[in-house]
Amino acid sequence: MDVMQRYVSPVNPAVFPHLATVLLVIGTFFTAWFFIFVVSRKSSKESTLIKELLISLCASIFLGFGIVFLLLTVGIYV
Amino acid sequence: MYVSKFEASMATNFVIYLALGALLCLATANGEIVNTNVERTLDLTSQLVKTTTKISAEDSAGKPIVEYVFFTSEPSLAYIDVKDASDKSVPFKRNEPVKGEQSFTFTFPRAAAKQTFIVETVASKGIRPHPEEIRQNDKQFVKYTGNLHLYSKYRTNSQKTNVKLSSSNILSHTQVKPFSVSSNKITLGPYENVEAFSQEPLVIHYENSAPFVTVNTLERTLEISHWGNIAVQESIQMTHTGAKLKGSFSRYDFQKEGRSGLAALKSYKTYLPASASGVYYRDTNGNISTSNMNAVRDFIELELRPRFPLFGGWKTQYTLGYNVPSYEYMFNDGNKYQLKMHLIDHIYDNMAIDEATIKIILPEGSSDIRLSTPYSISRLPNELVHTYLDTIGRPVVSFSKSNLVESHISDFTLHYSFSKTSMLQEPLLVSGFIYIIFLFTIVFLRLDFSITSHAHKE
Repeated sequence: MDVMQRYVSPVNPAVFPHLATVLLVIGTFFTAWFFIFVVSRKSSKESTLIKELLISLCASIFLGFGIVFLLLTVGIYV
Repeated sequence: MYVSKFEASMATNFVIYLALGALLCLATANGEIVNTNVERTLDLTSQLVKTTTKISAEDSAGKPIVEYVFFTSEPSLAYIDVKDASDKSVPFKRNEPVKGEQSFTFTFPRAAAKQTFIVETVASKGIRPHPEEIRQNDKQFVKYTGNLHLYSKYRTNSQKTNVKLSSSNILSHTQVKPFSVSSNKITLGPYENVEAFSQEPLVIHYENSAPFVTVNTLERTLEISHWGNIAVQESIQMTHTGAKLKGSFSRYDFQKEGRSGLAALKSYKTYLPASASGVYYRDTNGNISTSNMNAVRDFIELELRPRFPLFGGWKTQYTLGYNVPSYEYMFNDGNKYQLKMHLIDHIYDNMAIDEATIKIILPEGSSDIRLSTPYSISRLPNELVHTYLDTIGRPVVSFSKSNLVESHISDFTLHYSFSKTSMLQEPLLVSGFIYIIFLFTIVFLRLDFSITSHAHKE
């Protein structure tokens, strides 16, 4: 008990809403970029696979964290 | 020949008598504890029987008293606590009940020929409504049946009992002289030289308008999130266990007359921790809007008003929940975590809980779970629960305890191990799910679903 310290969340709960907003905005931006990129692809011959994978990876990571912080903001403590 | 045989048997008999006598002498020399003075205070103002007994005991042989056996005749004893004269708690253990009689053995940390100690007991079902059924406008009368003397294994030199009642309206009480009555207080005694195990009934029939409310089942769920929150939810079923309502209920009389439904439960106060937020009070129909919340200096006072006044025999059930920040109750050292929280919390003043079940939902991936409680509980098997973003399920520690009162509000400690990287599991789970959708899109856009072959290629 003496050596134990009070446990605080690694992220201050006060910044949950801001974090959720910022992360979701960035995630949405990457998602939009990804879809614009794939539909405006001239032909399937171009080797754009790596770029598509990277953009979608960025989008999914930002969206994933954004959604978790959104849940925490609204009171669903996962 | 015959005579000598007779003589021999006589001799053996004599030896046996001698041995028995010696044993008896030894026994008396060992166990001659006498209660020199006993002062009992019975608090019968609420639905609980709160007894404070101050016992001065002495060994007649002048030997130091190490152990003292305390008997209690309360049928449903909920709580017992022993303190010595300098307000230090005395360790005790519960003995196996013999013929329904409960006894406790106190072991004094310091043996002395004279011991003075204070025993506090709380019993939940000692006061019965009498008559058992009343009309809406009637007053509630109750009957307490107890023991006039301290039910003790030892002889008592002098004893006195002070009884505190909820009102000065006393219909009858046991009249063993000397006694005195002044408004809502009865003093019985002092009675001199009471034999051991003396049982004389003490019956008091008086008015008690305090609502007799019992919580039948309390289910308390604590959900721990390492994102900095502990969600507390209590689902409560309570019954008014006082005098039952006879005849019909008139809302008009109830609203108009002030003395209507005196023993009914109209509203009550629940105290929550000062850091509680997001409080909700609802039942199966939805939110119960008749509640008020006031933040007092070091706790939150919640005034709850059920959907209907609770008369004798009526029931209600509701759910009360709130969030508290984790730093109030959680401690950590590396991967070792500790949760220190109230086992049960305040529901209403002078509460009586028949059965409480406590469930602690730990985050996914917790291990090495160890629970220590301030009093004995019956541990239920661990289970797994699946909520948001769970894969293998969260471990649930659950335990139950019956017959609880306010004195049982104290902290349990739960130790467990949890690795911080497990917290990343949830966001990565969502990310992975979204990434799979993206991958599906990438694959889908590369497939050719056209039924005609393209005439020209760019």
